[in-house]
Amino acid sequence: MENYIIEAINVSKSFPGVRALNQVSFNLKVGEVLALLGENGAGKSTLVKILSGVYTKDEGILKIFGEEVEGMNPLKAREKGIAIIHQELNMCAHLTVTENIFLGREIIQNGMLKDKEMGKEAKRILDELNVDIDPDAVVGNLSVSKQQMVEIAKALSTNAQVIIMDEPTSALTSKEIDDLFRIIKKLKAEGRSIIYISHKLEELQYIIDRVMILRDGEYITSMDFKDTSLKEIIAYMVGREIKEKFPRVESHKGKKLLEIKNLNAGALVRDISFDLYQGEIVGIAGLMGAGRTETTRAIFGADPKQSGEIILEGNNLSINKPMDSIKHGIVLVPEDRKRDGLCTKLSVSDNISLPNLDSICDRFGVVSRKKEQEMTEKAVKDLQIRLANADVDSGSLSGGNQQKVVVGKWLARNSKVVIFDEPTRGIDVAAKVEIYNLMNELKEKGIGVLFVSSELPEILGISDRIIVMCDGRITKELDRKEATQDLILEYATKFENKMGKEPADLQ
Amino acid sequence: MEAKMKKQGKIKRFLAIRGMGQVITVTFGLIALCIVFGILNPTFFSSKNVANLLRQIAPIIIIGIGQSYVLITGNIDLSIGSVIGMSCMISAKLMTMGMSPVTAVILTYLAALGVGIANGQLVSKAKLPPFIATLGTMTIARGIAQIVNNNYNTDSIGEAAEGFRNFFYYGRTLNVFNTIWIALALWFVFNFILSKTRTGRHVYAVGSNINASHLSGVNISATTTKAYMVSAFCAATVGLVQTATSGMGTMDAGTGYEMYAVAASVIGGVSTLGGQGILLGTIVGASIWGVLQNGLQFAGAPVAIRNIVIGIIVVVSVLMDVLVRSNKARTLRKSKS
Repeated sequence: MENYIIEAINVSKSFPGVRALNQVSFNLKVGEVLALLGENGAGKSTLVKILSGVYTKDEGILKIFGEEVEGMNPLKAREKGIAIIHQELNMCAHLTVTENIFLGREIIQNGMLKDKEMGKEAKRILDELNVDIDPDAVVGNLSVSKQQMVEIAKALSTNAQVIIMDEPTSALTSKEIDDLFRIIKKLKAEGRSIIYISHKLEELQYIIDRVMILRDGEYITSMDFKDTSLKEIIAYMVGREIKEKFPRVESHKGKKLLEIKNLNAGALVRDISFDLYQGEIVGIAGLMGAGRTETTRAIFGADPKQSGEIILEGNNLSINKPMDSIKHGIVLVPEDRKRDGLCTKLSVSDNISLPNLDSICDRFGVVSRKKEQEMTEKAVKDLQIRLANADVDSGSLSGGNQQKVVVGKWLARNSKVVIFDEPTRGIDVAAKVEIYNLMNELKEKGIGVLFVSSELPEILGISDRIIVMCDGRITKELDRKEATQDLILEYATKFENKMGKEPADLQ
Repeated sequence: MEAKMKKQGKIKRFLAIRGMGQVITVTFGLIALCIVFGILNPTFFSSKNVANLLRQIAPIIIIGIGQSYVLITGNIDLSIGSVIGMSCMISAKLMTMGMSPVTAVILTYLAALGVGIANGQLVSKAKLPPFIATLGTMTIARGIAQIVNNNYNTDSIGEAAEGFRNFFYYGRTLNVFNTIWIALALWFVFNFILSKTRTGRHVYAVGSNINASHLSGVNISATTTKAYMVSAFCAATVGLVQTATSGMGTMDAGTGYEMYAVAASVIGGVSTLGGQGILLGTIVGASIWGVLQNGLQFAGAPVAIRNIVIGIIVVVSVLMDVLVRSNKARTLRKSKS
């Protein structure tokens, strides 16, 4: 029998309305680097959170070193030797390296911190990793890669046997990635195991022993890396047929409405150019962190842009703040309803009229109650928002109806381009179909629709044209006739190769 | 039948106004307090005491209006008390120098609005935490109050200012002290702006969700600054009332008033988290504050006891607000799952 560090048998986990993990079984061998792969929402982070004790599993068996463990929590996970390094590093930026490494496990004698001892220990671990970091440096002053090394050192100081790394290379330069891979190999040589989550499939070849693929919460397969290919991996990641029906309407493609030219705004919006025509829905696909949301925010003027032109109906617009783009008729239905879309404490009517007060106020700025009511009633009727009356707090509505309120406030004015960012996230199937129908209606009216989504079936089902983004760039523009899930995923993982052609000699 | 339905609709609409629930609750509390104090000491209801009580409450209503505006945008204004002192000193100094009261009043308002604009810009443009920004302007405004007359209170503003003193404090119109009319007038104007105009709507929106407001095209900086300007304007008015009351400029005028303004707002149901509350509540909150001060004094309670009681009332009313809200959230969650 092989030596397993972790063995999971039929582990399941549900959240209200979603089965995030369904009967997943897998194992992790001693001294192995396992890549955990899957699309957004495949269940990778749920699985990892169960292993690290953040979530408790609903059912199934979890064995660590052959011993069954029940009632996992983060503390127990640490005792069992499982450490996780999150993509967003979890450290106290104001404390020193040593203080962070020993956070929560400070060495104390007679109620006094033993700083010297901790400092020495921190130095020993950092030396062992062969990284040049001063234990007394303040963590907030270190580069991201060094902070990551500190996290690894912290994991080692708890004598972790399993280290889970979530997208560890996303913020690193190629030199830093080299360093990280060198350390991963070293840890592996010491007999520790690593679970490695990454969208950057090309990197896998340098460090991975085995891949395991999840899809829609189900275990799909696992195979030795040397026996497979990237193409095969992608096929397994996608692998599903589109079962849902999407209401598609055919519409005449009219004249060019919006043209984005060489838009740059930070690291995640690089040289973006595309066109949008009347009567079409353009989908923007990509993985998490591809820069889709950032692109829409830059177009809308919510975030500053460094350069680029936004041309609407032939006029070059100067958009510096949302008010500018709203005036020109470009509006955004943001990704996070609660955070960016709605004033949840205000009534439905208040929310719908908020961006349209200019049209229902007299010249003294007094809001006409009558016009406001008419506007709200029209929006509620047009969008079939279900509510008791328009004076209820918008926060009390269901997710789908909240989304309609956000859309409603933009349709109450004559918008020319409507940008939807993940409009169907967290709403039920029936409400989703209503949102699709709504987008189709806009398209038929000659309004340009830009549609960001992480769900490939939905993007494929609704869009007339699909823009694929990866790491802040557009990697491909696909017509819907040629677009497939495999093709989109292939371009969505087309990272710029930071590593050079040949695997470097890392040992 | 239809008329009845319409009437019911009106009542429903009235109750649905944001924060009306808490206003009704505290109104009952106010009535109960008045009854208790009336029983403890029947002279509490004497016309002389009622007139004095109302004149005592008026300044608290005025600064409560300003503080409510700022709280509803999700911020706080600690500079109110110092702006009162500054306005008191500036107006008195100008009048002792022989300036006409009207000009002095206008210049005083301009100076105060300067503080309001500074507050608004520091908070919304420089993104300083409102607590720190207004703590700074609070100290600066107090310093200005001291520098105006070389660290002395001013002399008497003299006979020429008799009209000024009557307008702001001593005079009566329709047998009611002018100060009370001023408070009511300001309340009507600012309540109208807050509930009926675009500016008012933006004030609520910014306090409720600053991101969503920004993405809806609301000018966050302008809205925040307007709220601070309202607060400074109200504080300056109270400063003028103080000048009229004592007939001179006092450097310490208004010390601690910013907290009375917070108390009046919060007791009246204005949320310190922003986005919620109505100015009707501020009137009731200020009244509770005044009735407690006056009533406890009548009942013979020392200042220390008055402070303790009012402190407890403030904490309890905020606690009630928090409890009600977490209860709401819980039932909401339950009904969803």
